[in-house]
Amino acid sequence: MTCERIDDLAAAYGLGAVDPDEERGISEHLVSCDRPHVEARDIIGVSTAVPAALEPVAPSAELRARLMATIAATPQEHAAPALPQPVPEPARPWWRLAPLPTALAAVALAAAVGLGAWSLDLNRQLAERDEAIRMVAAADAAYAVSGSAGSGWVLEADGQAIFLADELAELPPDRIYELWLIGPGGDPVAVGVIADTDGVAVAPLERAIGNATTFAVTVERGRVDAPTGDPVLVAPLEG
Amino acid sequence: MNDERGADARLADRIRAGQADALGELYDRHASTALATALRVVGSREEAEDVVHEAFVAVWRKIDRFDAARGSLRAWLMTVVRNRAIDRVRARRPRIDLDDADERSLLRTGPNPTWEAALAQTSAAEIRAAMGSLPDEQRRAVELAYFEGYTYREVADVTGVPPGTANGRLRLALAKLREALEGSTGAPLTAPEVAMHEERSR
Repeated sequence: MTCERIDDLAAAYGLGAVDPDEERGISEHLVSCDRPHVEARDIIGVSTAVPAALEPVAPSAELRARLMATIAATPQEHAAPALPQPVPEPARPWWRLAPLPTALAAVALAAAVGLGAWSLDLNRQLAERDEAIRMVAAADAAYAVSGSAGSGWVLEADGQAIFLADELAELPPDRIYELWLIGPGGDPVAVGVIADTDGVAVAPLERAIGNATTFAVTVERGRVDAPTGDPVLVAPLEG
Repeated sequence: MNDERGADARLADRIRAGQADALGELYDRHASTALATALRVVGSREEAEDVVHEAFVAVWRKIDRFDAARGSLRAWLMTVVRNRAIDRVRARRPRIDLDDADERSLLRTGPNPTWEAALAQTSAAEIRAAMGSLPDEQRRAVELAYFEGYTYREVADVTGVPPGTANGRLRLALAKLREALEGSTGAPLTAPEVAMHEERSR
């Protein structure tokens, strides 16, 4: 784009009335050109008076409160939490690690329920907690889950299974945890997601453990049919 | 760096450091102008507040890429507000790719600091009077461009004139606005960074 064209389009640029490609071209030109483009810069400056001509409108008090609450829960791009790292190779193959006894799992979970940081979301979480306690009480089997994203349990009762974890590693807002059961053939089957990592995460598995040999958790951008990365939590399901 | 630009840079640094109260300060300074702009574009108070909310969250998230040397925090914020507001009313045309628009907004050359300082001392009534002094076709072109999101080529289509004429109206409108505002602020327009640029180029 020539200097003359830049000067010609300065007003339209200032008012946001050029095409995206033109906007990019003018921005790049103005920072790299040897000429100062005094007139164009002045006209761009004048364009900012246009919104200032409007009578200011006082926002509701609720808007500020809502914004500050959102900010408190929104990571900045440059400070977004690092993704949990894939589980490192264990000294012994994880599929040979024995699951902890059910009673021990139940005691540990009961402690977590008693002391854990339940977030404040009320009825849903109370229902989840009730379900978790019911599962603990009735558990036929409990499998310890661990990895770089934290730790938890997979509990099995009456043919149903549930995954519980306290304080999973925080994720960027565009990521979720996805849960998998892996059978002897090695193909993972998606069995749920966790988007909210506050407090105790409770996620009923969408299918029974059956003959699955491994439970795993990966970090995904949204629910997918096959894992896109290595697991950040795993548990052997054979005991 | 003049006081206004320096204050902007310091505020940006605090927001970059994750200080939510600094974003609150930015909000307290500019939310009413931001809301007026969003309301003028979308027409609904509730929707306008949503736009302002989204815009401040975007500033919070993307602050690390803001370069105070390119333009003011206020000008960037207003661009982000305008892009989001126009996107809401843009059903007649393809939606704006807001991530791309945010990228472009960060690259824009903003107003020079002298203007920023002069504008900060000028009342909305004075600026409105200056806008009111524009010939109808120029004011209409400015309003179509800024508040309705039309490019100058689209302004040409809507008003039935060649693109060069529509662009010329925008240029003349801002030149007249500049004269009127110079009259009320007495602000010299040559910005310090332009003088430095000239010095560097010699």
